[in-house]
Amino acid sequence: MTALKNELQGKVAGSVRAGAEVSPAQTTNFGHLFHSTPRLLLEPRGADDVVAAIAFARAKGLTLATRGAGHSQSHVGLSDGGLLLSMVSMGRVLGVDADALTVDVEAGIAWGDLLRHLEPLGLAPPVLTNNLNVTVGGTLSIAGIGVASFRHGTQGDQVVEIDVATGSGDLVTCGPDREPDLFWATIAGLGQVGIITRARLRVRRVKPMTRTYYLLYDDARRFMEDARMAMDSSRWDHLESWASPSPQGTKPVNGRRQVFARWFFPFHPTVEFDAKRPPDDAALLDGLRPTERLYVDDLPTYEFFARLTPVFDLWKRGGTWEHVHAWTETVMPWETTPDLLDALLPDLPPSILVGGHILLWPAKGTTSRSRLFMRPPGENLMGFGVLPAIPPQFWADAKPMLDVASRLSVAMGGKRYLSGFVEFTEAEWREHFGPMWEPFVQAKRRWDPDGILNPGFVPLDARRPVAAPTA
Amino acid sequence: MPTALRFGDPAWCEAVRAEVNASSEYRNAAAKWGVGFNGNLLLAFEGDAMLPAPLHLFLALAEGRCARAEFVPGPKYPEAGFALRAPFSLWREILERRTLAATAILTGKMKVEGDKLTLLKHAGANRALIHCVASVPTEFPPPR
Repeated sequence: MTALKNELQGKVAGSVRAGAEVSPAQTTNFGHLFHSTPRLLLEPRGADDVVAAIAFARAKGLTLATRGAGHSQSHVGLSDGGLLLSMVSMGRVLGVDADALTVDVEAGIAWGDLLRHLEPLGLAPPVLTNNLNVTVGGTLSIAGIGVASFRHGTQGDQVVEIDVATGSGDLVTCGPDREPDLFWATIAGLGQVGIITRARLRVRRVKPMTRTYYLLYDDARRFMEDARMAMDSSRWDHLESWASPSPQGTKPVNGRRQVFARWFFPFHPTVEFDAKRPPDDAALLDGLRPTERLYVDDLPTYEFFARLTPVFDLWKRGGTWEHVHAWTETVMPWETTPDLLDALLPDLPPSILVGGHILLWPAKGTTSRSRLFMRPPGENLMGFGVLPAIPPQFWADAKPMLDVASRLSVAMGGKRYLSGFVEFTEAEWREHFGPMWEPFVQAKRRWDPDGILNPGFVPLDARRPVAAPTA
Repeated sequence: MPTALRFGDPAWCEAVRAEVNASSEYRNAAAKWGVGFNGNLLLAFEGDAMLPAPLHLFLALAEGRCARAEFVPGPKYPEAGFALRAPFSLWREILERRTLAATAILTGKMKVEGDKLTLLKHAGANRALIHCVASVPTEFPPPR
């Protein structure tokens, strides 16, 4: 082991650790469902290190996995006996072009760190994830969605160009109009064809303040009518919503009494504004019919971007951050979303959401060009997510329920969002990617001919089976 | 411990009907089942190594109640709005609570006839129904 470590160390500028020296946190991810120890871990210092690591892995017959902030939940960001690249060591802002409205970053930078760099310039990426501690390279490899996706698509749609270290050993600059096949196989490509080392991202000028209206609905269908109106109105910069339980007592479910809830639907449309020109509340809310208007929140825009950080901090302090996170997220057809809610919510125990929540994000199917971010056809879509934090001792009870939720959402025409816990068979993977499956397989063969990159999740390489959870 | 009833006997059918009608779980979960559509259900137990000949259980279901339960000639039954078909061995796994009916349906192991979306939308009603059927003490036929 020492010889192998020393050999790699001799080829790279970043630091190399042997498996026994890897911290326990780096042997699992946010899902806490998989536990794998790499043979070697590299903290690359730059793209040259990444290219050298790929060459090393190919020469030694090792697999190579990449890890950003480790916020995935399936067998992603983990390595079982291979070489693991911890990309957070590549976290620099390389330059901002305020005229062209772009920023160049290394792929391991967290979105929150990028925002801190952009704040003095009054700039921000058009789409931000709720959790700002995840990395640019990580979310671009999944798609990257947020509360502004209904306007701006995915984070992957806001990429001007990227540098990709391919599994075949090349460092290639690509974009939507330059090597587009590699670009679109990398964006939402689960790290299967290459490793993003640099990204040039679009940014936009933000207004200094936000106003968020806390609207509450007691009916899913009425909420959805208003959400669609809000999307179509062009009045709003951000739209966020949930299903929120009000526990009502216990009822039998399969003969065992469990807590059940009446569900409500909070809807938070947000508009950015200049302090000297506050928004016209009546004009903005015209036509919306919430059951109740609870609260109006004015926040500096950069605080709005980080609005969930206190919630995540609470989860960490409360211990639920360390629980099993088998998040079941699906992009649903608009039309079947109410049916899915009817089917799932009545039997969903609110306790499963301690340290978690149920997302309902209205979205437009027309805002993304990403080839591998699979979504149903249709103009209006709904992001639906059951995001529980499950104590490990309850995982066996919760898993069948989440499995049914996942399958039900797919049966109703949804496409799973792949950052959560996904346990597809190969047939289900093929169904997920549909007509993009074969091009994805071909891209894998072309740019990762040895099949070394990020094994254990999507079975593009039949030699490497999908990993089973160990939790 | 109640006496087990032989699977396939009229007495077993009657016990299923009684169990459904006594269940507040089913009454609540299925309050909208069969409202505006034909909610009558045919459970088709296909013959296999564990069942010598197929059996077809017809359940007349609406608004959380079961008006009739009887074995009928199969494989189709005109009064049924939906049919669930599976080999008996799978049904037995479901009725012994080793497999979820929803999982069997969603993985395609159990075939659905009728509007599948309506069936899926009323997942709670059908889960509660299966629970009722599984709650009847049953003597299953010995394997062949």
